[in-house]
Amino acid sequence: MSTKARNSVRVFGDGKETMIFSHGYGCDQNMWRLLTPDFAARYRIIVFDLVGSGRSDLKAYDREKYKTLGGHARDVLEILGELSQGPAVFVGHSVSGMIGALAAIEQPEQFSSLVMIGPSPCYVNHPGYTGGFTREDIDSLLDTLDSNYLGWASSMAPVIMGAKDQPELAVELTNSFCATDPEIAKHFARVTFLSDNREDLPKLKTRSLILQSSDDVIAPLPVGQYLHERLAGSTLKVIDNIGHCPHLSAPRQIAEAMAGFLQG
Amino acid sequence: MNDDRTLYDNAPCGLVSMRDGLIERANATFCIWLGYSPEELIGKVRLQDLLTVGCRIFHQTHWVPLLQMQGSVAEVQLEFLTREKRVVSVLVNAVRRLLDGAAHDDVAVFVATDRRKYERELLLARKHAEELLLSERTMQVQLNEALREREKEAQQRAVLAEQLIGIVSHDLRTPLHAILLGAKLLIATKVTPVQERTVGRILSATNRASRLIADLLDFTQARLGGGLGVTAEPLDLHALAAEAVDELKLAWPGRELLHQQSGDGQCAADPDRLQQVVTNLVSNALTYGLAGRPVTVTTRTDGDSAMLEVHNFGPVIPDDLMPHLFEPMRRGEQQVAQGSRSVGLGLYIVQQIALAHGGKVSVSSTLAEGTSFTLTLQR
Repeated sequence: MSTKARNSVRVFGDGKETMIFSHGYGCDQNMWRLLTPDFAARYRIIVFDLVGSGRSDLKAYDREKYKTLGGHARDVLEILGELSQGPAVFVGHSVSGMIGALAAIEQPEQFSSLVMIGPSPCYVNHPGYTGGFTREDIDSLLDTLDSNYLGWASSMAPVIMGAKDQPELAVELTNSFCATDPEIAKHFARVTFLSDNREDLPKLKTRSLILQSSDDVIAPLPVGQYLHERLAGSTLKVIDNIGHCPHLSAPRQIAEAMAGFLQG
Repeated sequence: MNDDRTLYDNAPCGLVSMRDGLIERANATFCIWLGYSPEELIGKVRLQDLLTVGCRIFHQTHWVPLLQMQGSVAEVQLEFLTREKRVVSVLVNAVRRLLDGAAHDDVAVFVATDRRKYERELLLARKHAEELLLSERTMQVQLNEALREREKEAQQRAVLAEQLIGIVSHDLRTPLHAILLGAKLLIATKVTPVQERTVGRILSATNRASRLIADLLDFTQARLGGGLGVTAEPLDLHALAAEAVDELKLAWPGRELLHQQSGDGQCAADPDRLQQVVTNLVSNALTYGLAGRPVTVTTRTDGDSAMLEVHNFGPVIPDDLMPHLFEPMRRGEQQVAQGSRSVGLGLYIVQQIALAHGGKVSVSSTLAEGTSFTLTLQR
């Protein structure tokens, strides 16, 4: 299985420099479709699915390899090694912020800069650290995932309304965004929400942009602040947005903030 | 009769509308299910605030991107927390409309407690089945391990037994030698006819025992020593066979034993081992062949190969015995005289000798043609 097929990699856009987009927990590379058009004229764009998500090869989901975020970071390095010429801009949402950081710590020469949208080095509160969740909260999520086995992740179809602005083709295309194997979804949730990469932060030498939503349950403001203080050469930009997916709900603001950061 | 407003409020499902996430409208059914008054919800609370923590995360990672990308979601399972912090399982449909630059979400909520119970049971049943499968697999693995352990033990016991045979056989040679020597001394002195017959029986029994021990030692060497040792030297196959046949004639008076030959008879082989082959094959032929018909030894050299064939008339070797003929401790069940010299090692040793020479043994057995064992060697 090639890296391209394993991660259902797609490459497009014109430009010398590469910009790679890595989606977060939940959906897949389709998350980027409101953002990539802004950069396709100036960059060679790589989008892909983390193994276990979207159209990636589910057979490649090795629980041993992906028991930490490092397994996904290795995949990112492999994709860049095969497809990128020169250092790339890495754009990661949510858990992929840390995946990008781990990859850049491992092979800094592959990265010119990191853009992290709603990143968190640790979702669970610790003494002196506010992650946003207690351990019980995360256990409740995993429990919910467990008991929602039949309802979540396996089918996420849109409402069939028969409306004119919802052609059937679109329905077929879109209803797999967040669908994946429920067992893998559970495992990935565990790995994501129990990850703690706070000690890796000082090792990151690549310049980075932290895009923090003003109101985000999953990565609250103090988390963005914490990251900014511990990542050398980081810029913190708070986006006026409610929710964890500003690249969907406020794509213009995200694109502007990124453009400013990449020029500077 | 219901007007629209009544129908909206008393609809058999919860109906909630949000504008940019904030609850803008909620029907009575929804408010009653969650234990809030409309005033407490409208304009103040977002839908996700009413969810359990696990569902709040799910709301962010799945629900929001899906609504954004596909405009609607159907049959999503969520858990609401009532005002009294009781969990209500629901199924939710949601549709997004964009009006005046704001996202309006219309949500229909159906209580699905029984469905959830049913699904939980399905889930439990599945888990149970998976556990059963796992325990069965574990048992299979343990069983296989036990079997392998047994096999290993059996093999160790077999090796031990073979070593024991080797040691005992070796140690038996010394006392046998003493008996043989004593008997020979006795017969050289003046003895009565009765004593002479007795000593004769002692001598022949001792010789038989010596041959048995020689076979056993060959067997252990072949099994444990990685094959029999042979020292090949140039020899005349015809002369060797003739000599062996002569000796056998003495041992089997009253039986007809023929020797035929063709070719020059020159080949390279271990003379003692070849003699052993002739003795073993002829003894078998005499034991199993028809008493009234001759046993024929044929030696032939031709081109690159030298052949030694022993033929007898008599009953056919049974088909089921054929594949095991050259295995140790196998022998034909019929016609074995009590006190026969064989312990079932003869053919095994013949084959080992053939292999040690880089040659082979073959057998053919039919009612019309009789039975032939053929040793073929490279000259």
